[in-house]
Amino acid sequence: MLTLLGASVKMVARDRQSIFWALAFPMIFLGVFRLFSVDSARTTALLVVADVRTEAGATLLAALQAVPFLDVEVRPGLSEDAALAVLQERKSDAALVLTAGAAGAPASAQLITAVNDPVRNAITVAAITSVVDRANLALTRAPQAIELHARSAGVHRTTYFEFLGPGIIGMGLMNFATIALAGSLSRYRSEGVLRRIRATPLAPWRFFTSVVGAHLLVAGVQVVVLALVAEALGAHVLRGGLPFLLVSLYGTLIFLNIGVIVAGKVQGRGAVEGAANAITLPMMFLSGSFFPTSSLPAAVRPIVEVLPLTQMLHALRGLALDGDSLLDHWPALLIMTAWVVGTLLIARVTFRFADD
Amino acid sequence: MAATTQAAGTVITARDLVKRYGDLTALAGASFEVARGEIFGILGPNGAGKTTLVEILEGLTRPSAGTATILGLEVTEQPVEVKRRIGVQLQASSYHQYLTLREILELFGSFYPRRADPLELLRRVHLEDRANARMRTLSGGMRQRFSIVAALVNEPEVVFFDEPTAGLDPDARRDLWAIVREVRASGATVVLTTHYMEEAETLCDRVAFLHRGRISALDTPQGLIRGLNAAYRVTCTTSAPLEAAAVAAIPGATRVVQEHAADGYVLRLRAAAAPPVVAALTAMVERAGVTMLDLAVEPATLEDVFIAVTGSEWDG
Ligand SMILES: Nc1ncnc2c1ncn2[C@@H]1O[C@H](COP(=O)(O)OP(=O)(O)O)[C@@H](O)[C@H]1O
Ligand SMILES: [Mg+2]
Repeated sequence: MLTLLGASVKMVARDRQSIFWALAFPMIFLGVFRLFSVDSARTTALLVVADVRTEAGATLLAALQAVPFLDVEVRPGLSEDAALAVLQERKSDAALVLTAGAAGAPASAQLITAVNDPVRNAITVAAITSVVDRANLALTRAPQAIELHARSAGVHRTTYFEFLGPGIIGMGLMNFATIALAGSLSRYRSEGVLRRIRATPLAPWRFFTSVVGAHLLVAGVQVVVLALVAEALGAHVLRGGLPFLLVSLYGTLIFLNIGVIVAGKVQGRGAVEGAANAITLPMMFLSGSFFPTSSLPAAVRPIVEVLPLTQMLHALRGLALDGDSLLDHWPALLIMTAWVVGTLLIARVTFRFADD
Repeated sequence: MAATTQAAGTVITARDLVKRYGDLTALAGASFEVARGEIFGILGPNGAGKTTLVEILEGLTRPSAGTATILGLEVTEQPVEVKRRIGVQLQASSYHQYLTLREILELFGSFYPRRADPLELLRRVHLEDRANARMRTLSGGMRQRFSIVAALVNEPEVVFFDEPTAGLDPDARRDLWAIVREVRASGATVVLTTHYMEEAETLCDRVAFLHRGRISALDTPQGLIRGLNAAYRVTCTTSAPLEAAAVAAIPGATRVVQEHAADGYVLRLRAAAAPPVVAALTAMVERAGVTMLDLAVEPATLEDVFIAVTGSEWDG
């Protein structure tokens, strides 16, 4: 049995197509999403046109530089038109132009924003307004009536990439399990390997156990590798720990059974791969690999929520992002168990060793 | 209950084996016995039912009717026990493309309680230097040789080869014959199917003719030919045509044909015994005053047997 398992693992590991689905495909997604991550542009580039030798200029600049999300660049002596040109060239997101007033009159500060993201604009305007207010207070040496102390409560808001991490790992497991297993089983059949094995005293269940077991072992390696890559790129999945691995493999079992069913129901190798893709592709999008299922129309939610990948991703995200325990996700585990048992029973009756 | 009585020295007993696929009857009742240590050939054209027959014996296909007993075990009753003791080379099958030859033999060996050393097996078919190669790098002849030893991983008592030389060139075919003979010499009983007449004739101890799902003749190749009543082919070339009716009247001559060829008039006939027919032919040529340009007497072949027993031309 060990020889059989070892040989089965070798076959999976040497099959380029299996490895593509197991590692290359999900890694491409991780890399692409990392590159275009929505979270990365978090600072606003601010162009400051002011004479910083004046007290007003120096005070304002110091206050602006203290704001963490502002990326301040000082260009003294730039005209307002020239500043606008910089914005137009998209070299800056906003410009603050300070002009000294006539003797006794207050200095005037023009704030021009260029970003077309209204939320970010509002934040930028609010931040700069408060900085200007503070600078005014400091410059007039008025006593402060209310002192504001801001601090972070340490609440971590999940970034999109962190949300994505478990989604892509789950997607990778599903694609590998279903497409690669269905593909290799149908190849075994069309090449006559199954028939040749049937001519030996090997019990069919042993053969299946070894093939499914080999894919499960490779899936275990797949989870670890993808989790490390995701972690290195900034999605903190390692927090999920061992429970994350266990839920991953439990879900993989469902997709392996689906692979067996597809290989048993569909004739012809190309058709088998097509059918496997037809099952995994919609699930990849519907089950929330890339966006939360809560953003789907209410009408489809009930269907989406019983899909195995949906439940698997709920549990994986809870474990990795919210620090949940396995028990917190008993509903997901229950639905997954129904899938494991159901697909196993169907796989048992649909798969035939040879067309006899 | 499954241990059917088999005569001492008999390793395979097929009794009235029938296989129907819907309306098609692939096997219409085949019965025969194979003795220990034989090379037993099943000869027939494509579609005759050879594969169906051996796969019933191997426990891969369930017969619609009839029984098959191997080594005292009834195949449908104790398939696992039978599979442990036989070796199988299938007509249409290949091996795992991602494993090396040695890994495949180790894998298949692991299915049996008794197993042979992979390298030793590869040596038997001169593939030892390919132990770490994969299937797809092998030539057709190498693959066939490999599939032969893959049938020997469990040191089987009975080995089935289904068209082991199909598609091979004459040299590779002769290599394979030598290997099959060695397998038998090592003590196994060999059952092989073929659609090559000369292969059955030179390699097999006994041959069963399978035609349209039935065994139409079964004997040693020599026995089959002798039983023909037309054991020789006589070919005679003359300068002018002989009278066909007179030639057909020669006692012991059958299937007489005469045709005009570039080098004269060629007369072909079958003869139960050569000397009287040749003597009569020579006398007739002298009487007719024509010149005999050439005379050839050859023993008949299994092809003649096939034509005689089936009444149809060999198209295998
Ligand atoms: N699984 C099957 N289903 C239907 N017909 C089959 C099947 N296997 C074989 N046959 C038919 O049975 C006949 C005998 O086939 P086979 O045993 O393969 O012949 P051979 O091996 O002598 O070429 C053929 O007509 C073939 O088409
Ligand atoms: Mg055949």
